[in-house]
Amino acid sequence: MSRNTWIWGTAIFVLLISFPPQWYPEPVRLQLAAWFGADAYRALPESAQPSAVKSEIACPEDVLGWREAQEIAGVQIRRSLNCVADDPYAVAAFVRGTNNIPQSVLMRSGLTQDAIVKGRDLDNDGDPDEIHIRLEVVELNGASPDTDNLTTQYAIAPGIKPGLWVFVPKMTGMATKNFESLQARSLLRLPSPVIRIEQGDHVFITLENSHYMPHTIHFHGVDHPFQDADGEGNDGVPLTSEVPVMPGQARTYDLQPRQAGTMFYHCHVQSHVHVMMGLQGLFIVEENRPNNWLQTLNIGAGQVRYPSVSVKENYDREYDLHYQDIDRDLNNRIQKTNDPRLVTKSLHRDYNITTASSEYFTLNGKSFPYTFRESLVIVKPNETIKLRIVNGGSSGIALHTHGHKATVTHRDGVPVQPNTGIVRDVFWIAPAQRLDVKLETTNDGLHSYGEGVWLLHDHQGKGVTTNGIGPGGNISAIVYESYLKDNGWPRTFGVSWDPYFSAAYYRKEVPVWQSYAENLSSEVTFDGWLILRLLGLGVAAGTIAALLILQFQGRRS
Amino acid sequence: MPGPHRYCVLTIVICLTSPYLSYAMSGHDMHHSEQKQEHAMVYNDAGMVMNHNDSDLPFDCKKISRDYAFTIHAGVAYARDFPGTVFGMDQREITVDPCSRITITFVNEDQVRHQWMLHGLPKYLYDQGMFTLEAMGEHTQSGTFIVPGDDKTYLVHCDLPQHMEKGMKGQLVVGRGSGDLWSIPGVSREFRQQNYLPGHAALIFLLAIMPGITASLIVFARCGKIKS
Repeated sequence: MSRNTWIWGTAIFVLLISFPPQWYPEPVRLQLAAWFGADAYRALPESAQPSAVKSEIACPEDVLGWREAQEIAGVQIRRSLNCVADDPYAVAAFVRGTNNIPQSVLMRSGLTQDAIVKGRDLDNDGDPDEIHIRLEVVELNGASPDTDNLTTQYAIAPGIKPGLWVFVPKMTGMATKNFESLQARSLLRLPSPVIRIEQGDHVFITLENSHYMPHTIHFHGVDHPFQDADGEGNDGVPLTSEVPVMPGQARTYDLQPRQAGTMFYHCHVQSHVHVMMGLQGLFIVEENRPNNWLQTLNIGAGQVRYPSVSVKENYDREYDLHYQDIDRDLNNRIQKTNDPRLVTKSLHRDYNITTASSEYFTLNGKSFPYTFRESLVIVKPNETIKLRIVNGGSSGIALHTHGHKATVTHRDGVPVQPNTGIVRDVFWIAPAQRLDVKLETTNDGLHSYGEGVWLLHDHQGKGVTTNGIGPGGNISAIVYESYLKDNGWPRTFGVSWDPYFSAAYYRKEVPVWQSYAENLSSEVTFDGWLILRLLGLGVAAGTIAALLILQFQGRRS
Repeated sequence: MPGPHRYCVLTIVICLTSPYLSYAMSGHDMHHSEQKQEHAMVYNDAGMVMNHNDSDLPFDCKKISRDYAFTIHAGVAYARDFPGTVFGMDQREITVDPCSRITITFVNEDQVRHQWMLHGLPKYLYDQGMFTLEAMGEHTQSGTFIVPGDDKTYLVHCDLPQHMEKGMKGQLVVGRGSGDLWSIPGVSREFRQQNYLPGHAALIFLLAIMPGITASLIVFARCGKIKS
C-alpha cells in the first residue's frame, strides 16, 4: 500500500472513532444498541467546587445614630426601624424650613439656606402656608472625559449603577462623600424626593437646572394653573405652556392646590426619555389641619418620619412607596460618551422606546437586597398603616402583599367609594397611577394572617429579578417588629443572603442555590475526554481536507 | 543610478502616552467626613467660602512672595467657545509664584449654583486640602488662600455633578507647575477620547484602501523592475 493510502486510512479511522457518540443519528444509535446492548457506565463530570463569594455587609452599622428617635430644632423625629435611615438633620430642616433652623442644624443637613423656605401662615392655623422649594437636577453614575469610573456613584443593587437623572434639594459643598470618594452624598439618590405640602398652601417650586440638558417640572394630578399670575408657563409642558428651563437657568412654578391627594411630578421634556431617566417623584397634598407642619421632602421615599396631623388621625405609620423600572440600554447611554451633543443624539434619536424593555425594577430607588435595608414596611399587630404607592415605571405592576389583604382608599389622589370595598392582595397599578392603601394588621385571617416577615413585591416574574436574576427587582417585605433585630434587619429563617449581597451573583456567576445545597445542581465541570475527542476529530477532518485539496491539485497538473 | 537596495517601507509610529488619572475608589460610606467638611465653611448671602486663609503660611514659606487678585466669570456663556461643553469659566488656567497669596473673585452669571473648588493644598492648613468658593445663581463670591512653595499644578473645578465633566475645569499653576491636567478646555485634551466619525466611516475607510492598493502596486512593480 502506498503512503497516501495509509494517511487516508488513519485519518478516516481517527475521524470515525473520535466522532462523539452523542452526535450519532438516532437510527445509528438504535442499530448499535441492537447489536452491542447498552453502553457501559461512565461517571458524568464532577460537580465544581463552589466559588468563594465576596459579600457586602447586609446591614451597615448606624454610626451616626440616624435611626434613633430624636428632637432636632424642636422637631420630634420618629424612630426609623429600617437598617438604613434618612439623615434626621435633613428631616428637621424639611419640617421647619431651612430658613427657620439654627445654622448648626442647617450645616449638618448639607442644604442651602434657601432650599426649603417656609413663610407666612396664611390661614392663621399655626403652620406656615407659604412654601418655597428649590430643586436642582443631578446626574448619578455619569460619564467622565478622563476615566472609565462613573461620576457621583449610586448603586441600586450590588455592583449595579445605571445612569440616572434625579431632582434633588438644593445642597451646598461637594456632591460626593469626600474628594477621595466617588459615592454620592446621601441626599443625592433615586428616586427624586417626595414633595409634601398642605392643601391650600401657596407653593413656589424653583427648578434650578444644574444639569446639561433642558428640563421642566410637570405637576401630574396636582391642582395648578396652566399659566401663573404673570402669564408665565406653569404646566411644565414644552409643547403647550413654556420653553424648557435651559442649563444654568431657573424657573419658579406657582401653585395653590385646592384638593388633597397623592399625586406625581416629573420632567416633561422628551418625557419618554427624561421620566425614565429618573426625573419623577411623588407629590403629596395633605389635608389642611391646624398646626400641621409637614416634612416637605422625603428623601428616597420610604418611612415618613414626621407624618402630617391628618395622617396621624387615622394611621399609626405612613410609608411612601415609589416603584420604577429601568431600561439599562437607555440609562447607560449617558455613560458611553461625555460629549453632551452625542449624549443627546443617543438618548433622543438613536434610542427607540417602542422596541425597549426594562432590566431593573426598583422600590424607592433600590433593588433587592438593598430594598431590605431601607424600604421594609415595618408594623405591629392591630395597627393601621398608610401606604402611598406610585408606579413610575414604563408598564403596569401587580403588587402583591404576602399575608395580608389591604384596602384601596384612594386612586390617583381621589377617594374611592367606601362601599366598593376594594380589599385585595394584588394591586394592579398602571404607569403614573397612585394608590393610597390602608394596611390593617388585624390577625383575622383576612387583613392579616399574623406576625412574620411577609414579602411585598410585583407579582410579574420579571419584577422580582435584576436583569433576569432572582431574587432581585422590587422585592421588599411587610415585617412585624417581633421579627426585627435591633439593627433593623429582619429575623429570617430561610437561606443565607450572602450571595445576594455580591455583585458576582447579579453578574450571573454564582449557581443559584450554591450557599445551601452545594451538591445539588451546582456548576458542572468539563468532560475532558469529550474535549480530547473533539480535538482528534478536528485534526482528522483537517488532514482529510488537506488530502482532498492535494488530490484536486494533482489532477489539475 | 541609485544602489540596488531601496527601502519600500512605510512606517507608522504610534505614540501612546498614558499617564492615567487615578481616582481612589472608596466604597465605604464616609458619613464622618461628610460632616467634617462643614467645619471650615463660612456661609453668606452669596453662598459659601471654605478654608479662607489670608495669613497662615505653609511650612515651606518664610513670607508671602506676592499678592494676586483674579476675577473669574463662570456660566454657560463661557462654554460657547468650546464645542462639546455646556458649563465654563472665562479663565481656566492661572499661574502664580510659589508662596503667593491669591484672592479669587468668582462671578457666577448663571441662575444655578457654581463652585470654584481647588484641590491638593496642604491638609495641615486646609481641611481636606481644599479651598472652595460657592456662589449661588447670579451672585459673586470671593476668598483668599496662600499656596506652598513647591512647583505644582492644582485642580480647579466645579463639583456640581457633571459640571467639571461638561467643561468647568481649570488649573492653578504654581511656579513651573507639575504638568498640565487633562481635559481643560483650551489647555489640554480629554484623556478618554471620543471617535467623531460619521455613520458611513467604514465606506470612507474602504475608499481609502483602493488608492492605497493602487499606489502600492505601482511602487512594488517599480521595485521589482530594479531587482530584475
